[in-house]
Amino acid sequence: MDTIIIDGLSFALPLFIIAIGGIYSEKSGITNLALEGFQGFGAFIGALSAVLMANASGTDIQNLFYVALLFSMIGGMGFSIIHAVLCIKFKADQVISGVVINILALALTTFLTAQINSFVFGTASDKFQLGVSDRFTIEGLANIPVIGAVFTNVYPFEVIIIVIALFAWYLLYKTKFGMRLRASGENPHSVDAAGVDVAKTRFSAVLISGLLSGLGGMCFAYSISANFSSNIYMGYGFLAIAALIFGNWRILPTLAACLLFGFAKSGGAFIAQSMALPSSFTDLFMILPYVLTLLLLIFFSKSNRAPRALGEIYDKGKR
Amino acid sequence: MSKVKRKNNAKNNLIRPIRDEKWQPVTIPLVAILISFIAAAIVILIIGKNPIQAFYNLLQGAGILPKPSYAGYKSMLTDFLSLLNAMTPLVFASLAVAVAFKAGLFNIGVSGQMLVSGFLATILVGYSGLDAIIAKPLVLVIGMTAGGLMGGLVGWLKYKFNINEVVSTIMLNYIAQYVISFFIQMYYIDPVSRQSQYISEAARLTLVNVEMANLKMDLPLGFILAIFTAVFLKFFMDKTVVGFEIKAVGSSRNAAKYAGMNVGRNTVLAMVISGGLAGLAGVTYYLGYFASIQPKVLSSIGFDSIAVSLLGNSHPIGVIFSSFLVSIIEQGSTYMSSQAGIRQEISSVIVGLILLFSACGAYLKHKVSSLKDKELDQKESES
Repeated sequence: MDTIIIDGLSFALPLFIIAIGGIYSEKSGITNLALEGFQGFGAFIGALSAVLMANASGTDIQNLFYVALLFSMIGGMGFSIIHAVLCIKFKADQVISGVVINILALALTTFLTAQINSFVFGTASDKFQLGVSDRFTIEGLANIPVIGAVFTNVYPFEVIIIVIALFAWYLLYKTKFGMRLRASGENPHSVDAAGVDVAKTRFSAVLISGLLSGLGGMCFAYSISANFSSNIYMGYGFLAIAALIFGNWRILPTLAACLLFGFAKSGGAFIAQSMALPSSFTDLFMILPYVLTLLLLIFFSKSNRAPRALGEIYDKGKR
Repeated sequence: MSKVKRKNNAKNNLIRPIRDEKWQPVTIPLVAILISFIAAAIVILIIGKNPIQAFYNLLQGAGILPKPSYAGYKSMLTDFLSLLNAMTPLVFASLAVAVAFKAGLFNIGVSGQMLVSGFLATILVGYSGLDAIIAKPLVLVIGMTAGGLMGGLVGWLKYKFNINEVVSTIMLNYIAQYVISFFIQMYYIDPVSRQSQYISEAARLTLVNVEMANLKMDLPLGFILAIFTAVFLKFFMDKTVVGFEIKAVGSSRNAAKYAGMNVGRNTVLAMVISGGLAGLAGVTYYLGYFASIQPKVLSSIGFDSIAVSLLGNSHPIGVIFSSFLVSIIEQGSTYMSSQAGIRQEISSVIVGLILLFSACGAYLKHKVSSLKDKELDQKESES
């Protein structure tokens, strides 16, 4: 039981932060299928900087965890500029731009990882080794039955994600900036009429989504995969999109969707393990989160309402 | 000549090739391809290699230009035929994306649909020992039906329950991947290759190692079908009522509804056609280009096809050309990396760059027309 909660949380929270990024972008009116690419590229930059610094200073790569997190956010944000420029300045189709960015991110990071490994480190490897980040347990709280699992074997990034998520919630719902951002996705013309630059607002929304996605990707790289390689493109970004649509483009329901996802995943793995089935049966349990999402979507999608101006190119002259 | 005028002239010369609106669907992708090859050349220069030689090797590897030497039973022709062999599933898959796109739908599930239809055709026909004359058509029919049903399911979920097709296709991709991996590992695994057992030659859609004129070549039968399908689709989309309705629904759901078209039926229908084409891609891939299925892996064709279809403007004939180009880059990259010592992965970077620049096509179009307007204004004010 404890492992379900522990593993579920460590999967759900990175997914959640990527999904928040998606909410920011989509709430401002920019369709964002590029989350997958953002999280991968962010993780690439984070991993690269950690590996380079560990190499230069000789410190253990474990100690550079926070450095990697920081750079992954910068990397994700930097890469998201492409999406922002294509969608806002170049008025490209937002869906197309998102897909293109995903393809480009996969191609670029795979190429660069191999190239940098052979140039800088002289090894023929297609990944950066990172290891798994340390975990901690809060004594006392961890002894509470059931809920205690939440405080056991926690990754430090889980705490960081919760703090950032709280701030993101505050920013989106309680500040002027957040209100303008949400209005840009509903009725950009009225935002414009109120004297606010729609393009600028949307630009910053996309950048925020890149920043948060990069962070999420890095967390996956430091926990599940323990390295950076093209395996980071497992579809986390798409899962995040599913979660945010499921959560009706609102932060709290999206958290619920992500938790459901995480627990279904860890629960499936747990069942397969405890029933001592042959390893090929785990594949069958792996579909649990996806089937569950589809089924729940069937029940909940009817009432879903996307931001009204989502995917529309904002044209000042058009009324 | 004043400075402004000279600058304008330079600009005009630069955009002259893409000025004609009629030809823009062709010229803009060509410009995008050109720019991305220049960008790729810069990357190759940075890592200290010769780009001209690299591109030349790319064409040699794809069988467009002759290599200096060939192994026994091989020639430029055999290289070219294996290019076509690799290209066949890509054409079908890109057509699948293109049809859905015309209906305003985004089929990200091509790889899942490919896998399901390839798997079903493999176990139903591939292992059956039927004669080639029955087995080959049957493979096609099964592929088309399985893919069509799966695509139709997505269309139905969208129409009936308002489920975004991007989400449902992604979920179905995962489900297909894991379920089929389970079945392959339980029942059909070849313990040596760690893939599904090879299918019978009779069911395979590519004739492998056909000896002719002292050469051993692979003849992709599906390629001819792919070309016919593309031509047929062009006719279907442009000249039939159903094709028109699908396009109408794609460009504006509400307008189509007001015109009395059945939006739901057309959505489902477009996804059935798209899925059917993806199914054909699946059988030409798993029962043509390959003869077995690797468990737990979705083919990258599903995502490449989105790219190829965009590059071809979602136009059936354009798709043939764009998949030809992308196949050359991907097929030739092995030879290029062995000859020029450049990593094979650069091929996907080139493809990615081509896409990035062609996504800017709309902007280019917009810029060109605004420049034209400016010019007109200038002429008016001068006269």
